Amino acid sequence: MAHMMICSLGNPLMGDEGIGCHILSALESLSLMPHPSNTIKLQDLGTSGVHILHAIANQEKVILIDCAYMDEPPGTIRRFTPEDVESRKQNAHLSLHEGDLFRTLSISKMLGEYPEEVIIFGIQPQDVSPCTGLSPTLTANLHLYLALVLSEIMPTLAPRT
Amino acid sequence: MNKRIDIHHITRVEGHGNIVVDAKNGKVVDVEWQVPEAPRFFESMLRGRSWQDVQTIVSRVCGICSISHSLTALKGIEAAMGIEVSSQTKKIRLLTHYSELLQSHVLHIGYLVAPDLLGVKSVIPLVDTHLDTVKTVIKLHRIANQWSELLAGRTTHPVTLQPGGFSKLPSSSDLQQLRVTLQNLLPDLKIVAELLLSLAEKIPEFVRETEYIALVNPGYYTFYDGQIGSTDTASTPVADFESIVNEYVVSQSTAKWARHARDSYAVGALARYNLNGEFLTPAAADLAHSFGLKDHCYNPYWNSIAQLIECIHIVESALEIVEELLIDGIREEVPKVQPRSGQGVGCLEAPRGILFHQYTFDERGICEHANLCIPTNQNHGNIQKDLEQLVPQIIDLSEEEIRLRMEMLVRAYDPCISCSTHYLDITFI
Repeated sequence: MAHMMICSLGNPLMGDEGIGCHILSALESLSLMPHPSNTIKLQDLGTSGVHILHAIANQEKVILIDCAYMDEPPGTIRRFTPEDVESRKQNAHLSLHEGDLFRTLSISKMLGEYPEEVIIFGIQPQDVSPCTGLSPTLTANLHLYLALVLSEIMPTLAPRT
Repeated sequence: MNKRIDIHHITRVEGHGNIVVDAKNGKVVDVEWQVPEAPRFFESMLRGRSWQDVQTIVSRVCGICSISHSLTALKGIEAAMGIEVSSQTKKIRLLTHYSELLQSHVLHIGYLVAPDLLGVKSVIPLVDTHLDTVKTVIKLHRIANQWSELLAGRTTHPVTLQPGGFSKLPSSSDLQQLRVTLQNLLPDLKIVAELLLSLAEKIPEFVRETEYIALVNPGYYTFYDGQIGSTDTASTPVADFESIVNEYVVSQSTAKWARHARDSYAVGALARYNLNGEFLTPAAADLAHSFGLKDHCYNPYWNSIAQLIECIHIVESALEIVEELLIDGIREEVPKVQPRSGQGVGCLEAPRGILFHQYTFDERGICEHANLCIPTNQNHGNIQKDLEQLVPQIIDLSEEEIRLRMEMLVRAYDPCISCSTHYLDITFI
């Protein structure tokens, strides 16, 4: 029995910053059917730190998908846990407009409501600027991102009949 | 001695604002509240759009008070098209509005103001020192969010609100569950109130009498219906709001400023308290009494306390509405609207103060003109005037203390600068 939550983070009005939303939309269009004993919830969490805190509270497994600057070539996707990385954001949490996911996750831990497991898929952007749609590089790789996220949840899905 | 303090981007407010202070030989030469935020052009985006899309578009003005903008738009559309809504719709709209007021106030008091009173830079260190309080604030905020989601269909950017009524109504069992949730909120709000009571002496002493403007409706501490009330003049019908706001442009700000009977006026929780305080619910009035608040308070730093008092009032009032709705039973109503040409003004009390939307539609219900006058714009002039009086009084304090007092003053107004056109940036010369 598994309860999963797949969340996108980011702003689709800022080009590749919205890659999480594009992957979540693609997942939604697949009408995923979990095995009856499992649940999969898809949720777009936008850009608000506080909403992330509320949404993931006491969940079992949370998969977060976000645009990430990782010093990798544009279009690269990496799977990691919060313990694998260190945030370089300097100005986060000075207003409600810029949060730091990792600080939000550590608050969740301190409050005693941290999920049992958190997995992050980070995608290195090519272009983050005011526009809708993805850059050619991320568009070309969208099927790869989808396949990797699907492989994460595959054991919980029911066979189609 | 000459001083120049530069606070670039005031923290813990929504958006970007700067303060520039020039002092020469211990005398303040100039104090300037600047708003450099880029304009948003929502009024232009609305032109040519259908009456059915307006509330959805304007909800995006703000990620915190999206319900307020949607409701104000609906009131403006309905005024323009001569649509009367049912008493049930009014009650559920007010209940939805209350959920957002609680969300916004708890967020401001708990996450943005409490760190000042507890002497830390943000809410994050409080997780170590005041874990139970932080847990209570987060719980309150979470419940307010769920309350919004129940009625508006989403925590932010509502989807159930429509001209003429609702696309989905809450069930009786939803309301029964909400009643239990609201009853459980009051003890948690009292925990936050006790903490702030213990910290009340840390609220700076500063008094500047100004004009306060808020909706008034005799007998009610109103957030939704009424006329435009002023502490200086007689009440004005909502349709005549332009005679109140008198917007004008200043070189230091990309946001418009407003003035009425004096050089500036203030809107928000303290304005509502000063005009309607006698109509608070009993527990809210008791809390005001515990803080020693009199009929009129001219210390802008107390706006956050007025917000806390309103939280109690909101929950108690919401419980009354839920009770009424449960007694009457929820009736299915399908909104029927026939678009027609006309002009209308919508108005309510958003978390940060009185909010006006004005629309003109053609005979097909296409928006020809929109004018949004938001609370923070109306407060910019008053923030400037407060700073002009405050800074000379505190100019001999340490630079760190001057910065803190000025930042706390701006934060007390709970400005949502992004909406008004975004922080604080101070320069002392």
